[in-house]
Amino acid sequence: MGSEASVKHAHSRVEIDTATAPQAALDAARRAAAIDIRFPAFKDGRGYSLAALIRESGFAGELRATGDILPDQKDYLTRSGFDVIAPDEGSPRWARASFTHAYQPGLAKGANDRLPAYRARALAARKAQVQALNQQYGDAPPETIIAVALEVFAGRIAMLSSFGIEAALGLALLAQVDRAVPVLFLDTQRHFPQTLSYRDQLVAHLRLEDVRPLTPDPAEARAQDHDGRLYERDSEACCDLRKVRPLNAALDGFDAVITGRKRAHGSGREALRPFEFDGERVKINPVAGLDPARIASLYRDMKLPAHPLGAQGYTSVGCWPCTAPSAGTHPRDGRWPGSDRSECGIFDPVRTARAEAASRRTVRLIG
Amino acid sequence: MYRYDEIDRSIVSERVEEFREQVSARLSGALTEDQFKPLRLMNGVYLQLHAYMLRVAIPYGTLDARQMRVLAHIARHYDKDYGHFTTRQNIQYNWPALVDIPEILEQLADVEMHAIQTSGNCIRNTTTDPFAGAALDEVEDPRPWCELIRQWSTFHPEFTFLPRKFKIAVTGSDADRAAIGVHDIGLKLVRNDAGETGFEVHAGGGQGRTPRVAVKLRDFLPKGELLAYLTAIMRVYNLAGQRDNIYKARIKILVETMGAEAFTQDVEAMYRQIRGRDLAVPAEEAARLAAFFPEPSPSTLPEGVSDAPGYARWRAINVKPHKVPGRAIVVISLKPRAGAPGDATADQMDAVASLAERYGDGEIRVTKEQNLVIPHAIAAHLPAIHEGLREAGLATANAGLASDIVTCPGLDYCNLANARSIPVAQALSAALFDRGLDEDTQDLTIKISGCINACGHHHIANIGLLGVDKKGEEVYQLTLGGVADNGAAIGKILGPGLTPDEAVEAVAACVGVFRRKRKDGETFTHTLARIGFEPFKEAVYGQ
Repeated sequence: MGSEASVKHAHSRVEIDTATAPQAALDAARRAAAIDIRFPAFKDGRGYSLAALIRESGFAGELRATGDILPDQKDYLTRSGFDVIAPDEGSPRWARASFTHAYQPGLAKGANDRLPAYRARALAARKAQVQALNQQYGDAPPETIIAVALEVFAGRIAMLSSFGIEAALGLALLAQVDRAVPVLFLDTQRHFPQTLSYRDQLVAHLRLEDVRPLTPDPAEARAQDHDGRLYERDSEACCDLRKVRPLNAALDGFDAVITGRKRAHGSGREALRPFEFDGERVKINPVAGLDPARIASLYRDMKLPAHPLGAQGYTSVGCWPCTAPSAGTHPRDGRWPGSDRSECGIFDPVRTARAEAASRRTVRLIG
Repeated sequence: MYRYDEIDRSIVSERVEEFREQVSARLSGALTEDQFKPLRLMNGVYLQLHAYMLRVAIPYGTLDARQMRVLAHIARHYDKDYGHFTTRQNIQYNWPALVDIPEILEQLADVEMHAIQTSGNCIRNTTTDPFAGAALDEVEDPRPWCELIRQWSTFHPEFTFLPRKFKIAVTGSDADRAAIGVHDIGLKLVRNDAGETGFEVHAGGGQGRTPRVAVKLRDFLPKGELLAYLTAIMRVYNLAGQRDNIYKARIKILVETMGAEAFTQDVEAMYRQIRGRDLAVPAEEAARLAAFFPEPSPSTLPEGVSDAPGYARWRAINVKPHKVPGRAIVVISLKPRAGAPGDATADQMDAVASLAERYGDGEIRVTKEQNLVIPHAIAAHLPAIHEGLREAGLATANAGLASDIVTCPGLDYCNLANARSIPVAQALSAALFDRGLDEDTQDLTIKISGCINACGHHHIANIGLLGVDKKGEEVYQLTLGGVADNGAAIGKILGPGLTPDEAVEAVAACVGVFRRKRKDGETFTHTLARIGFEPFKEAVYGQ
């Protein structure tokens, strides 16, 4: 087997061969800007797994295959993560173009990559299902939308809740159907104490069985927010650390997520439909169509406790450093006061549009 | 039956085009035979003793009448009017011309078939229970998962240049008619305490020169995690499997060298590292695949009766119970008296296609015992099916009996073989038939390999024969006690090697001992455990 001795350094380009031990290859990838993997024989497939390991570890530099390589192997090499194929002189020069589709996830950089067939088909099916659900339930009341969503996405759906001013309604409707559905709560460690006590009050009142607090990665938090004042320097980075990344990690394994977003919130939410495909998951917005008056009356009818900060003039509650009582006419006016921000990033319309465009490409491929 | 979508069609047809270019480059001399070899192998084209051989994949042994007719057409027009069904549930043609192969592949592609990865050091055709979707004792139909594995393993970028060939088997029932214990990876669908189905995962089994029974890596793997876990096993093997000695390159040697525990730990660690979105099987895709394999509808017609000659015996031996009322599983034996096991003529293939179409929803299976199956036969039409099979010379009533012999092609065709296996099987078949030795041998397995590569599965036969070359003579080693299904076991050598004639007599003698000593329909394994090797030794070698 290979060893450190087989790892040759040349400036920031490192050459290893297919016999290099996986750990030595990963160490090389940490130090080098570019890596050559040498194939002593075209049949030696270890280089493919080494390339995959190196790419999966986050290596973004050039990965070059050298040595004894058949032209017909180009597609396999590219999809395993190589971006340059440089066979020895004398290798046969005849080759053909790559395949249009692939059954496996690819590690190629950029546009060469293809979604595995199983995901392409599933995303196309998901998108079609969202259209059908909106057609049938576009104007349905929130309790119907929640019940339908829990049935269609059974076992792979969660509710996302801020435990904020209007959160109790969605949670109560969920609890009426199934208290065991996971509820994801972004515990940013920057919440008002009132939000945390309100959360505990609601969990007890509605007897929710599976509320999962999502906290930022401790190592990342130490590195990025060593003094705890990242929100002052860069509020977007703070949201990314404390909301976007923990949520992305937690959503792995869920194909659908119920949100509390409403058209009345504005900020690009004016056209929100009850079912929404973001290019990856289905977002379900059961209360999208409710206006503040309707929400208030439902709170009264269902005897739901109110968020303690509501009485102090807050109409939307996020983290304490970036939330103020609402000064204007708009419910989310108190979020990131003094800045032009209105979204933390977990529902970033730009991100969503990008993901959707990617999925459209996919969906087109399979008609 | 699975049907291709646009993605499947494009992958297979682009592959046909690619191979057409490769063949013309070879024929023009632009590619040397050395350069061409790995390319043709991955398309199922072998160079045999006399000619090229083409092995066509029958994914998990499932095909429909339309596909069977194309297999018949290929036998008729490009071969010598027959095909050979293999122990990996595939079909081989022994005499196609290289120049015709791209055209054959195109005709296969028209009916959603291919020869992709039927050879070479890559992941081969996934095999399964030939009674899948019909068996009474099934936890869940394994075929949707076999189809998922077929697609995932096709042109896998990372796992197409493995140390050695790689075989995966899946069973949906405890009886394990897929021999998962002697596969590189064996998967068994099981139900856990919560009532969910998932996979029990085994790896490191195999036959060949160093037969090993697989070790269990996991009691329960959620189904959606299948591809992540398979990827983890493949990656550990691809990186650490031996490559300098082809006899030590299979995963079974790696598992043995590392030890089951260390191997399992490495796989589990790799699995934890790579699992996640890209490798998760989406619920929509699992549902889409499952929808291609609906349970056949029940039939309210009463089972047919017939007093045709041979019907009662055929009904008792070749027809198995089906999970749906009014349906039956029909095993079509390709083992007539003194026949070449697994061979079927073009006309016979057409006849099976017609019978399946008329009486069994058009579906056909190939078994690792080299027989065919009409899995969803309507029981009311069993007499008509029998009649049709009789006309086609396919009504041999010996499914699962001693004369249902499995063999590899052996020295008659194969350039790896040391000895012939088909002539030995033919002589043995004649002896068993003519001496009435088939009676009361239900579930006795006899398998013959012409070399240590063990394509005839002799290691896992109750009675196995292995042909070896001893100073230019064909000599056969007799093994006893192997088991393929439901708890695999490797047979043990009984005694000194035998000439072809002696081998035939020796097997017949062992069958005789078993018939005399067997109690209450017990299995061969039980009889052997009870009476030991001595009575067999005595019968074969005398005092």
